[in-house]
Amino acid sequence: MSASVAPITPASLRAERWRLRIRGWRDFWRRFLRRTDGVVGLAVLLFFTLMAIAPWLFVGQLETASTATGPRLGAPSSSYLLGTDEIGRSIVNLTIYGARTSMVIGLLATFITIAVGALLGIVSGYAGGRTDTVLMRITDFFLILPNVVLAIILAPILLEVMGADAEFLGIRATLLVIVVVIGLTSWASTARIIRSQTLSVKERMFVDRARVIGSSGTRIMRHHILPNVVNLIVANTVLVFAGAIFTETTLAFIGLGDPFQPSWGQILNAAESAGAPGLGAWWYIVPPATCVVAVILAFTLVGNALDDILNPKLAGRR
Amino acid sequence: MSLRYLGRRAVQALITIVFVLLLNFLLFRLAPGSPERVLLRNPSLTPQAVQEIRARWGLDKPLVPDQLVAYVESMAKGDLGYSFKYRGEPVVDVIASRFWPTIILLGSAELVAMVFGLALGAYAGWRRGGRVDRIGNGLGLVLYSMPYFVIGMPLVIIFATTLGWFPTGGMFSLGVAFASPIDQLLNFLWHLTLPLATVSLALIGGYSILMRSSIIETRGEDFVTTARAKGLPEDFILRKHAFPNALLPTVTLIAINLGYVVGGAFTAEIVFNWPGLGTLTVDALNARDYPVLQGIFLFISVAVIVANFAADILYGYLDPRVKTE
Amino acid sequence: MRQLQRTRAIRLAAAFFLTAAVLLPAAATATAASPLVLREGTTQDLDAMNPFNTNLVSGYEAYLLNYDLLVNFGPNFEAVPGYAASWTVSPDGKTYTFKMHPGMKWSDGTPATSEDARWTLQFVLDAVKAGKSIGVGALDPYVANAGITAVTAPDPETLVVTLEQPNPRVLQMYVPILPKHVWGKQTLATIGDFKNDPPVVGSGPYQAVEWKTGEYVRFVRNPNYWGQQGAADEVFLQFFKTTDSMVQALKSGELDYAHSLTADQLNALKGEPNIVTVAGGANAFTELTMNGYMKDIPGGGASTKALRDPAFRDALGYAIDTKVIVDKVLAGYGVPGTTIVPTGGASDRWHVDPTNPRHFDIALAKQKLDAAGYKLNAQGERLDKEGKPLNLRLYTTSTGTEWQQAAQFIRDWFGQLGIKVTTQVFDSATLGNIELPPEAGAEYKAKWDLVIWDWVLDPDPNNMLKDFTCAAIGSQSDSFYCNPKYDALFEQQNKALNEADRKTIIGEMQQMLYDDAVYHVLYDEPQLDAYRTDRFGGWQNQPIKGGFPIGGGQSSYDYTLLTAAGASASPSAAAASAGPAASSAAGATAAAPTPAPSASGGGGTTGGSNATPLLLGGIALVLVLVVAAVFIRRGRAGAKEEE
Repeated sequence: MSASVAPITPASLRAERWRLRIRGWRDFWRRFLRRTDGVVGLAVLLFFTLMAIAPWLFVGQLETASTATGPRLGAPSSSYLLGTDEIGRSIVNLTIYGARTSMVIGLLATFITIAVGALLGIVSGYAGGRTDTVLMRITDFFLILPNVVLAIILAPILLEVMGADAEFLGIRATLLVIVVVIGLTSWASTARIIRSQTLSVKERMFVDRARVIGSSGTRIMRHHILPNVVNLIVANTVLVFAGAIFTETTLAFIGLGDPFQPSWGQILNAAESAGAPGLGAWWYIVPPATCVVAVILAFTLVGNALDDILNPKLAGRR
Repeated sequence: MSLRYLGRRAVQALITIVFVLLLNFLLFRLAPGSPERVLLRNPSLTPQAVQEIRARWGLDKPLVPDQLVAYVESMAKGDLGYSFKYRGEPVVDVIASRFWPTIILLGSAELVAMVFGLALGAYAGWRRGGRVDRIGNGLGLVLYSMPYFVIGMPLVIIFATTLGWFPTGGMFSLGVAFASPIDQLLNFLWHLTLPLATVSLALIGGYSILMRSSIIETRGEDFVTTARAKGLPEDFILRKHAFPNALLPTVTLIAINLGYVVGGAFTAEIVFNWPGLGTLTVDALNARDYPVLQGIFLFISVAVIVANFAADILYGYLDPRVKTE
Repeated sequence: MRQLQRTRAIRLAAAFFLTAAVLLPAAATATAASPLVLREGTTQDLDAMNPFNTNLVSGYEAYLLNYDLLVNFGPNFEAVPGYAASWTVSPDGKTYTFKMHPGMKWSDGTPATSEDARWTLQFVLDAVKAGKSIGVGALDPYVANAGITAVTAPDPETLVVTLEQPNPRVLQMYVPILPKHVWGKQTLATIGDFKNDPPVVGSGPYQAVEWKTGEYVRFVRNPNYWGQQGAADEVFLQFFKTTDSMVQALKSGELDYAHSLTADQLNALKGEPNIVTVAGGANAFTELTMNGYMKDIPGGGASTKALRDPAFRDALGYAIDTKVIVDKVLAGYGVPGTTIVPTGGASDRWHVDPTNPRHFDIALAKQKLDAAGYKLNAQGERLDKEGKPLNLRLYTTSTGTEWQQAAQFIRDWFGQLGIKVTTQVFDSATLGNIELPPEAGAEYKAKWDLVIWDWVLDPDPNNMLKDFTCAAIGSQSDSFYCNPKYDALFEQQNKALNEADRKTIIGEMQQMLYDDAVYHVLYDEPQLDAYRTDRFGGWQNQPIKGGFPIGGGQSSYDYTLLTAAGASASPSAAAASAGPAASSAAGATAAAPTPAPSASGGGGTTGGSNATPLLLGGIALVLVLVVAAVFIRRGRAGAKEEE
């Protein structure tokens, strides 16, 4: 409430919009911080992100067979806090570098999933009619398909199609295939969620019909629908990231990973091949397994928290 | 429920199955790799022998229409082709022998998970904020975040390797003559316990969370308030009114998630050397046995589609709000 | 009132679980008496029961149990009676006369005569003459290499084989003798599709009666076996997904023999009561292959011409410390490699050490590279003769963990030479594709530089030697080596008149390949097995020095030596020499279960094996439903209370 009435200029409108946005952010943060589960999740995620971005802060270079100095399958000791693997590499070292591979793959896969899913969801929801029906049929089709089985089957085929030694942005074909395969099999539920949100936004929009007269479809989608769907996309991204790590770990465990740049799933695969369960080498299994669970759990907690804050449900809420 | 409703749903399911068939065909014929090369590390394979093998498998004909027509024809006959790895064995036979172990494992795990997971989720959601909720929900979330084999490996280490209470793998003790069918059944159950526990725990995690949010939504509904106003006890409202209502959307979600669950169960099979479709898939993957992979994908997809169809019908039957005419 | 329902339900559930807890462990040990079953485990799945269609050790192991070779391989892989009881050679060495065991029968009771042997050998001969391969074509060369020109069966107990020249290889043919009454209808065109489903009819010590793909094969003793009978009535060959579960089964007594363990598992088993560990030679070697294809391939080929230069390849060999690899990757098991004929296994007798073995010396390697014209640039990168910095792609398989570890070593050592190496894994089928040159098909580009892989040899090194001939380019050759002098030696050794001569020639061939640095053999692979001694005794390694008992797909001899634990070891010499004596011993053997699925005894998994899981599944489902019903009833009863 201002004492004097200032003239309304484009500049002042923009300034006002920024002030509102900042206030929105502060509000959001205050509410987020009140949720312990979300905060804990975020802290865990930050920790692992740091691990993934700068593993050298924690340990030296990634150990290889030739630089390994530890005993074979050595139990945790003072010099090797989490023990060693079958050629003497420190599990601490492997697990920390595993974070990088797992998170990068997860990130890229999430990007594809969200890009495809959100795009299809918005287009389908906005266009309505025939387009919507067709797109939704396709989406339902992919929703029902057994994702992991499809991923397992797609992987070798994609590898052949891409050429086994292809490289893209410095990422090798084998890992690239996993990224694409996860993306291709997970976009369906995102599409569905975004579509229903788009539909409800569309309904609300017709109340403000005046604003949208004369705008083209793409403009509307970009400037009116997207901002209102963004919240949901953000919350969904976090949950999709959790799923991507889950699937990547599974695929790596089955044997589709890269042993020279092991992700956590790949480490578990190596542990299984080295006979760790039977030899009682629990230290080979527990660290990567715990990290996987921790990260997935963290993403889920943060995602749920975001979901609750950004998209309050009106019915049945106490 | 009208026949038209049933018919419509059935047709939809069939159309989906047709799309799965087409997808299947495209996937594998697109792969330019030559499966006969699996034989390659053989000291005496001549290029001419390789050509013969390709011809025998029809891989040297053009994709469309020859291979597509051949594919459709064989599908119609129920012929899924021949395994590359097990030279000459029909894919149907290879899959058939591994099909029951997976069904038993998955089926019993689903049942156990539905009984315990849904109950746990319902109690947790109903007493929201209470101790039961926090522990139950927390446990559910943790289990939900664990890939199936991550649940399985510790179980093996603790209960099989260290304590020796259960076998480390397999479905039966082989090479053992059983004194009676009961002994055989018990031996089977003894082997089934850990894999069942693994898949059940994983499912319980997911279902309890699902049920919990469903119950939370239901709590706010009018009929619950009415029931409370009538003075009915909380437990009774939960069991007789809230739970059945919250169950409905959960049923649909359970059916939709089946495809996802199958993949997880496959990894559990690996940990326990369970002779089902999961271990078969991994074997086929390593051997690039495309016909078998194709067959498994087809089989699982059809199974999931049929399960969804059944769930749809069940849902229509149970929920009076759904239009079934 | 509600409390009462709850307590009752809880008691019911508790009773159920307690009963189960009591019964289940009992189920583990509930067994009936006899038959004595040898349970053997391996991680390599069986791919085919038709001997001509299998490519894997498991497949060979299976057919060596089912069938006899004309002449079997004995305790030290020497010639011992097989399908043929004895043989004589004509003075000019070109005619071998084999005598069958009198009164010999196939496992189904049909008389086994020289006609079956004649039919089998003639079939393969016809295939060789027509230039076609039988199945995957792995067995055909044995008949061809023996130089057989004619096979006749003048009477049911005599087989006459004529050679084009004196050649002892006719006694080393790795071809199973098949029953004509089962296989006779097959033609060259159809034999590849013949599945040979169990129950198999054969003359070997055990026949397969049941095969669950991916799970196990069940063999039953041949009641008509002409030779010494091993103590096992049945053999279960069980396929495990991981060595881990296999070792577990061995430790808990569910398995008698575990084939191919890891070094750590072997070490952990030492000292376990009733378990013996074996570290023998696997008759296989792991090598670093270099792409020496001599022509340019558009859009493919090696990344540098340097790999075509023997001097370059030779220099690289001085940057490989095979001893370190054996110590760190194999935990000391295995032998540092030299030539392409490995030591310690069945091929050991043909191994000849190189006269000028390489040793690990990085400085020397650098010198040799400089001398050969591959110099370092200012940034420390080594350049090839075209001036390009060397950047080699090293590939190996996704399942070969040891090879991946060896690859890391090589990457680092070559890095010290200024040669950049990038590593990547592929599954075996894809890697096989990548390796192929255009001779195999226009679409193959041999786009690779280095590969780490292995070869498993037959007891006879012939097939391995063939891989380096010019003719093998486009099929089995991955080094693309082509040397007319080598090819000439190959023909010569095939026609050598006696073992000593042959070994000399093979020695020359090994030296030639070593000098030209065609492969860098990293190590001769160890065979790490373990077996229990509380149910079976009489275990003997094959070969006696440095071998391992069973499971290697090389010979089934040692199965016949097994005794039931506690019984004294049977003299192994008996089976080696005695011909007629052995068959009378077989006749005296008490009746054992026939190959047909046994009615009650052997494992309830025969017949109706698909119905049983169904039945069990149904029962399990019912049990769970009962529990569920209990819970639901509790709710309903509780509800009735409140109404």
